[in-house]
Order: sequence, then C-alpha cells, then structure tokens
Amino acid sequence: MSQHNTLVDVKNLHVHFPVFGGVFSKKVASVKAVDGVSFSIGKNETVGMVGESGCGKTTVGRAMINILYHVAPDVEISGNINYRFENSIVDFASLHPKKMQQYRSKVQMIFQDPYASLNPRMTVAQIISEPLQIHKNMSSKDMEDRVAWLLDKVGLRLEQAKRFPHEFSGGQRQRIGIARTLATNPELIICDEPVSALDVSIQAQVINLMMDLQDEFNLSYLFIAHDLSVVEHISDKIIVMYLGNIVEMGDSSEVYHHPRHPYSRSLLSAVPLPDPTRKNKTRVVLQGDIPTPMNKPSGCAFRTRCPIAKPECAGDIPSLVDTGSEHWVACPVVREAN
Amino acid sequence: MADNNNQISLSIFKKRWLKFKTMKRGYYSFVILLWMYGLSFLLPLFINNRALIVNFEDTYYFPAVADLIPGVNAYYAGEEFNQDVPGEAKYRLLKEDWETSDSENWLIMPFYPFSPYEDITTKGNKMYDPPSSTHWLGTDDTGRDVFARLCYAFNISISFALVLTVLNYVIGVSIGGAMGYFGGIFDLFFQRILEIWSSLPMLFVVIIMSSILKPSFLLLIFIYTLVNWIMLTYLMRAEFYREKTKDYVSAALSMGQTNSKIIFKHILPNSLVPVITYFPFSVVGGIMALVGLDYLGFGLPPPTPSWGQMLGVGLQNITKWWMVFSPVTAEFLTLLSIVFIGEAVREAFDPKVYSRLR
Repeated sequence: MSQHNTLVDVKNLHVHFPVFGGVFSKKVASVKAVDGVSFSIGKNETVGMVGESGCGKTTVGRAMINILYHVAPDVEISGNINYRFENSIVDFASLHPKKMQQYRSKVQMIFQDPYASLNPRMTVAQIISEPLQIHKNMSSKDMEDRVAWLLDKVGLRLEQAKRFPHEFSGGQRQRIGIARTLATNPELIICDEPVSALDVSIQAQVINLMMDLQDEFNLSYLFIAHDLSVVEHISDKIIVMYLGNIVEMGDSSEVYHHPRHPYSRSLLSAVPLPDPTRKNKTRVVLQGDIPTPMNKPSGCAFRTRCPIAKPECAGDIPSLVDTGSEHWVACPVVREAN
Repeated sequence: MADNNNQISLSIFKKRWLKFKTMKRGYYSFVILLWMYGLSFLLPLFINNRALIVNFEDTYYFPAVADLIPGVNAYYAGEEFNQDVPGEAKYRLLKEDWETSDSENWLIMPFYPFSPYEDITTKGNKMYDPPSSTHWLGTDDTGRDVFARLCYAFNISISFALVLTVLNYVIGVSIGGAMGYFGGIFDLFFQRILEIWSSLPMLFVVIIMSSILKPSFLLLIFIYTLVNWIMLTYLMRAEFYREKTKDYVSAALSMGQTNSKIIFKHILPNSLVPVITYFPFSVVGGIMALVGLDYLGFGLPPPTPSWGQMLGVGLQNITKWWMVFSPVTAEFLTLLSIVFIGEAVREAFDPKVYSRLR
C-alpha cells in the first residue's frame, strides 16, 4: 500500500485500563486490552478485524474515534493513530478533545446493537439531523432535504422520518444508524459488529447496502466482526487479533483460505459450512480458556492454548513478519516449518 | 414494512400519557385534584368574609377580588360604608342592616361568607359551634370556621408539597446527574457529602431550625429542601451512570456533541422514569411533612390555616368530633387520590403489563 493512499495509520497502539485497589486506591494492575497493534487502512478500503470476545477489537475501534475516555477516564492510550485528511496528518491518540471536534465528522461509527445506539426519544429525522446540526451550518430546509436524501440512500421511506426507533425492525434501525453516520460525509466508518445482532437475511441486505455505499461515497471501513464468512465477503484485508495483539494480517482471501497462524486456523475451522454434503475441514479445537488480559502469558500470548507451541514461545513476544505477498504472521514456529 | 402512511407515530411519553389516561382511578384523581388545586387559588372569591361586590351610594367596591390580587389593598374601614364598627367593615352585618332597612345600597357576599381567620372576637362567632347550615363543619377552639380553614389549608398543603418536591427534584437531578455523568473526583466528593448529610437526624434539624428562625412558607421550604435534596441524587446518579455507557451516548460523542447537549437532550429524557414515577409519592411526603411539623407546632406560624394545626387542636378537644373528623378526612382523601395518581403513573411507566385491579 503506497503511502499517500493510506487514510489511517495505526502504529504500536496500546490501550490499557488501569485497575485500582488497596487502601489508597493505587494502581495495582492494568487490563491490556490492546497491546501494541499496528495496521493501516487505505482510502476506499475495507479492513476486517476478527477475533474472539475480549480480544480488543472493539477497543481498537473506539480508540480510533477517541471516545474511550468518556466511559473510562483513566484509560492509558499510547502509540499513534495518524489520520490523513486533505494533506494534514492528525494523531487522534494524542489530540486534545477540544481540537478533536473539527475531525469528528470525518470518522464515524456504526454500533453493534441497533436497539441501543438510537436514542429512543428522538424521531428518525432528529437522529439523522443531529450530526448535521453539529457540523454543518445548514438551514432547516436544507437539513430536511438532506435527511430525505439520506433516508432514500439507505432504503427507508421519507414518511418514516417522523417515526420513533421503537417502531422499526432491527435491520431498519441499523439502516437509520448507517444514515446517521453518512450524514456528515465521513471518510472512515468504524463498523463495530454491525450485523451480528441481525438475522441472516437482514445481514445480507445491510452488508450489500454498506458495500454499495462504499462504492458511491468512497468510504473506508474498519469492519469489526466475529463472523468470518461475512468479513471475508466484505473485506479487502483481514486482521486476526488475539488478546490485544495482531496474530495474522493479510489479503482477505489469502487469510481466509490459507491461514498460517495456529489461532487463525482454529478460528477458521470453526466457520460453519452451509452445505451439508461437504465435509468440514478438520476442526481444530482449542484447549483451555482465553487468559486474562490483566496477566498475559509471557512471550506469545497464545502459547498456553497453542497446539504447536514450543518452549521457546515463552521467550520474546513474536513480531509480525511478512511471509511473502503481504501476508503477515506472528508465529516463528509456523515460519520455520515453512 | 406493512404499516400504512396515515398511522400516527407516538413518542414514548405520549404513549405513556395515553396509558395513564386508561387508568381510570388514577386519571380521575388527577383531573379532580388538578381542578380543585386550580380553583383553590380563587378561594377568596368563594370563601371569604369580605363582600364580592359592594354598591354603596352608587360606587362599586370589590373587596374580595382585591383580596385575590396580591399588593392590592382589600381593607375598607367600617366608616366608609357608614357602619358603626371599629376597624374593618363587617360585610355580613352590613348586608343584614341594608336588607332590613330597605336601603338603596346592596352587596353580594361570597358563596360561603366566612374567613379562615375570623375568630371569637367577631360578633356572632362562638367557640365549639357544632356543624350547622351556617358553619358547615362547625367552629374550632377560637371560633374560627373549620370548613373555611380546611379549604385554605388544602391550597397551602399542596403548594408547599409541590414547591418542595420540584425544588428537591431540580437540585437532586442536577447534582445526581452531574455525579453520574462526570464521575471521578466530583462524584467521590459529592458521595461523601451525601453520606454525611444523610446521617443527620432530619426531623430534629428541622425542628431546631424552625424554633430558632421564625418560620414562614418560604423559609420552611428552604429548611426542608436543605435536609431533603439528597433524596433523588442517588437515583439520578445511578441512572446517569447506566445511561452514559449506552451506545446512543457513544454515538452522540463520536459525532462531537457537547456535554450539555448529551446530558439534556440524550441522557436526561431517558433517565426521568424513576423521577416521574416517584413524584406523586414525593408530594405525599411533602404534605405529610407539613402536617407533622404543624401538628408539633414548628410549622407555619398561627393563624395560618393548616391541617396539622387543626388536627392538634382537634385532638385536644377530642369530644368535639367535627374538629378531628374534618382535617383527618380531608387529608385522607387528598393523600389517597395522590397515591392513586402515583399508582397509575407507575403503572403507565411500567413496560410490563400486570393484571391489575381497576
């Protein structure tokens, strides 16, 4: 990926949530939700991010729109999240919240739960026009037109604008959420499991809508999900995360069809095949539970559950190395076996 | 998607209001109480010893109407109407005189021509007069009309409770909300203050303060707010803590909404349910508080009409049944209807549907 096509460059991102304890509320430990993550998203590119619950996917997404401090004011963020907007480079990780305001419209987020992400007391029109009121100096007539246009884009009818969120189905609500994110012409949309709360037929509708909108508006997506087949369908690039680290990263079909890292393999072998006549690939079942991010194993975090672990794995934290054709794997054992 | 276009969309609040309306007992209590409270501001026109209209030597006087408007002098000396009495004109006597003497002058008395302040010193008033067609609920130990006092006390009780509750709510919601939303040191600091405050013996504080200061309506409200504002802060703090982690708040943040807009536009409307359902019961508490203080003699200064004071006097004269019966019944009915309202509000805000007694 050439430099000037990159929209956002995440470098060595750490997000730690401190844990306080004892009589004087000293910091006794920290939850290392994201522990040294680097990747980049190009313009008009979709990056899929997968991993099991608690591996830090959502935290990466929320760090990228800088709203973590709101719920956890003590959060420690280090590293860089460099956005390139019209030749200016902005680092969201170190930007003061007040200066953040002007860039808020550029990066938006679609949330997992369409029932919780829309304020139940506002009408659809109010919800969609809220970002417009903040960022665009528009007359109310222009605003109405824009809302109507956005509703049309996401496949809702204009007369539904006066309705309240509880009058819509899950898929329709997610469309409202998408319309809201589109309102300010963002460049990057962070999709935090946007379809996992929807049933399968609706999932397809929403995914296709998102892909259409991407072509129309030159959007970039960070698509966070745990449904690998969905991610493979929409993404150009897949990132596999485990316990706050990236274990494998590469071209979508390459990672999906030829996973190298033992964790990715087990993850992919768990994808159900919708064809009963086809025999599933050998299922790799992991032993044990995911370790706590408060007290991660030394060296490779995955080694406690890894089927091919060696004693050396307890040593240094394995770094992501390109195994050729932009396929990055963080496992020396696999690379040696090659 | 099969909805028709003419369907009216209702906000959550509207829906709950409609549901409240179906709760007959609570809704009618609400309507009746609202009307009675509204009318009770016009009490000087209905229950007063001052005349509504006086026509004296072709000049009109409106003493009762003047009574209604604060700052307007309703006092007319007896001499102004050629009445030979010391001090203010005695309109009831005046009316009798003019009617018997076939005078050109005339006056119209209010519907119930007694004031809550007229005691034994007024000619014709007796102590412990049992209920009759003149004094519907008799007179008390100083010859004041019980019915008139009862009605005036209704207005004072409800006003006191409403102002007290609203004030407590404003303080409680803003401090509790800010605690929940901003968290951190601010939250910690106010939590400790609340803990200290809630350990004060409230009744004694109120009694001590109102025995040192000379209590008036506003001062009593101030004293009560001082000890009662913590009532709602915990609730609101918890509500804000819960609501602020919801995704719609994150969405508002990620689009760059300001803190104040997030608080007032997003979180507050969604965290008002406990506040609204608690409101009627809080009003009940306010009325009870005033009755209790008045009963103990630390409330509103005499001769302000108040249920607590009437109850106290009634219990000292327990054989005069009307003096006990009247304030107890009035209080009972008022509190009962407010509890009915509260019950209906709680029901209307409850997402679950219970089979209920109607």
